[in-house]
Amino acid sequence: MTALALPRRLTPGSVPLAWRNLVADRWRLLRSSAGIAFAVLLMLVQLGFEQAFFVASLSAVQQLDGDLFVMNASKYRFGTRDPFPHREIDAIRGVPGIASAAPLYADWMGFWWTSPIDDKPHLIRVFAFDPDAPPVFLLPQIAEQQSLLKADDAVLVDRNSRRFLGMDGATEAKLNSLNVRVAGSFALGPDFMSDGTVVMSDRLFAKLLPGNRDQPAALPIETAVIRLGAGENLAIAQQRLSAALPSTLMVMTKAEIVDFERKFQAQLSSAAPIFWLGALVGFAVGTLICYQIIYTDLSDRLPQYATLKGIGYGNSYLARSVLTQAALTGIGGYVPAWLLSLAVYRIIASVALLPLEMTWRLTAISFVLTLGMSLLAGVLAVRRVIAADPAEIF
Amino acid sequence: MNMTIAPTALAVRAEGINFAYGQGSARNEVLFDVSLELPPGQLAVLTGPSGSGKTTLLTLIGGLRTLQGGGVAVLGRDLSGLAARELMLVRRDIGFIFQMHNLFDSLSAEENVRMALELGHLSPEAVRRTARDMLKRLGLEDRVDYKPRALSGGQRQRVAIARALANMPKLVLADEPTAALDKDATRNVLGLLKQMALENGTAVLMVTHDHRIIDLADRLIHMVDGHIASDVMLDNSGRLREFLKTVEPFSALNPADLAGMAEAATLRHFEPGEVIIRQGEEGDELFLISEGEVEVRREDHEVARLGPSEFFGEAALISGEKRNATVIATEALDAYVVGKAELRQAMKKSSRFGEQLRRFFVRRR
Repeated sequence: MTALALPRRLTPGSVPLAWRNLVADRWRLLRSSAGIAFAVLLMLVQLGFEQAFFVASLSAVQQLDGDLFVMNASKYRFGTRDPFPHREIDAIRGVPGIASAAPLYADWMGFWWTSPIDDKPHLIRVFAFDPDAPPVFLLPQIAEQQSLLKADDAVLVDRNSRRFLGMDGATEAKLNSLNVRVAGSFALGPDFMSDGTVVMSDRLFAKLLPGNRDQPAALPIETAVIRLGAGENLAIAQQRLSAALPSTLMVMTKAEIVDFERKFQAQLSSAAPIFWLGALVGFAVGTLICYQIIYTDLSDRLPQYATLKGIGYGNSYLARSVLTQAALTGIGGYVPAWLLSLAVYRIIASVALLPLEMTWRLTAISFVLTLGMSLLAGVLAVRRVIAADPAEIF
Repeated sequence: MNMTIAPTALAVRAEGINFAYGQGSARNEVLFDVSLELPPGQLAVLTGPSGSGKTTLLTLIGGLRTLQGGGVAVLGRDLSGLAARELMLVRRDIGFIFQMHNLFDSLSAEENVRMALELGHLSPEAVRRTARDMLKRLGLEDRVDYKPRALSGGQRQRVAIARALANMPKLVLADEPTAALDKDATRNVLGLLKQMALENGTAVLMVTHDHRIIDLADRLIHMVDGHIASDVMLDNSGRLREFLKTVEPFSALNPADLAGMAEAATLRHFEPGEVIIRQGEEGDELFLISEGEVEVRREDHEVARLGPSEFFGEAALISGEKRNATVIATEALDAYVVGKAELRQAMKKSSRFGEQLRRFFVRRR
């Protein structure tokens, strides 16, 4: 018995027909690469926006520094004001295994920062906490400067806020018509809802919050940031806490609260579908461009393909060659588009202050989409070769 | 109805082939009950006017079309009822030389030939070596890395021939393979085909109107209106008989006289510049040009040029006078030579031939 030998055309060292056809005409290759690169860039920008949207939307919640978080059960997302009564904090602190529970106060719709640039009030996001309690944010710049907030009128500002707010470099400003002193800054960045962020003490928050009559010690709490004692089990502590609290409150781990916000953005806001639709348009445009390129190339070589069929090549070989050529055509557009997107991302990120960034995830998704569109175009075009009649060439 | 054909040692065995294009009122029948057997090692030429069904017959034998009626066995395999995939496998054993060479412009000459070789099981080195060898045998050793665009029409045709012959097929089907070739290249290709026929038993079925090939063929099949009108084996005298039919006064001879004249004629070769007959000398031979060209000079003035299927030297034979002109070969010349006695005998036997030849003689004076 001899070993079943593969025909030569399937093994390395055979004529690389797909590659030769691809590079046969340099100008055509350049034109087709440019066309496909355009479509890929369209997809990359849309996918980049989608990613940046989530990164920005989740940046604040991801900076929360705690093991468990207690919030009003009626809250549908983290970034909307819906606080629970202050007295519940005592019930929380009474649950065994809890080392600390720090109230976090927040507001998205009640604070107006008068920009030193245009002297007009702009709506901003505010976080507040007791400067004597353990840090509630992971950002080291906030934790380190927490003690500065003990001064009456001191605030910390986000120096990555949108430029028109003039927070970066400001030393004093007007917040809800009262003068505040900028004691320091941190770097967080805006999201799609808030242009800027200010951090302050609970006492200043109570003073500035419109319509508030509560003392700082009685302010409704947005989120209680809880740390467990050493060696405590997270799941057990979460159960214990839920059991001890009324059903109007919910207890989440860090992973759950991030996911809570992500789900809102993904399912309830229309932002993500808009970007995916944009990417889909890029995909469709790319498929059409790809089809046009491959179809033209196949039409030009149809007698040659028919000749190959005539001398004994099968449809599977021809289809494989055409699909390989299609995939290579796609990759030929992908590489320049990927490189170009690095520059485009940088420009958009600096202009729009969006965390637009090339990641492995984006690279993988866009690569798969590019391969998908070129192979789809290849499959549509290859029917022409399969239909070619070798008898016509004699 | 398809027939089942018993496997034989024949390269091609076709029986009762009928074929029509189109359906219903557009139906156009092109082949009627065509039967043909081609033994290994035979070089058969298929001639006939366009539309006579030559190319259709070639595509049916080559497994490029599905049979409609009749049966074909190729290299011992019955083609009737074969699925597309099985026909594809049969085609791998046939060398096709298409009228359009259809080389990939993206591939070099060597790679185009390798495409055919890679259907086999040779190692990459052997594929490369065989492709280069075949191109070398066709005089393209310094063009192996050229793309078709950089080659002349004749060179491209030779690359296509190399692609068809590289696998040493047992059957070659060709459609006007030498149309783009010059004289030397044609001789080269024919030499190669002859060698393959001898050493490899390759049978060749070729559609062509090229006299240079008919001169070397073993067999001449003539098709008219979808029928085989004549099918002659060509030995030397048979080949000459076919040739004489194309020369005007000789076509008036009956088959027996034609055979007698063919029997008596001999093929002679002349180098360019060689003087074949000289004015004023005694003359007792008639020359029929098979290939090449001559210049006819009278008193040092050129009076005519003659080419294939034309003849000269008849004047001295008919009138008994001395040669009335000098004839010089302007290029390599092959001519059939007929002696005075045979010609006189033929003129005596066929008064119509004699009359036509005399009329020629008078017209030329």
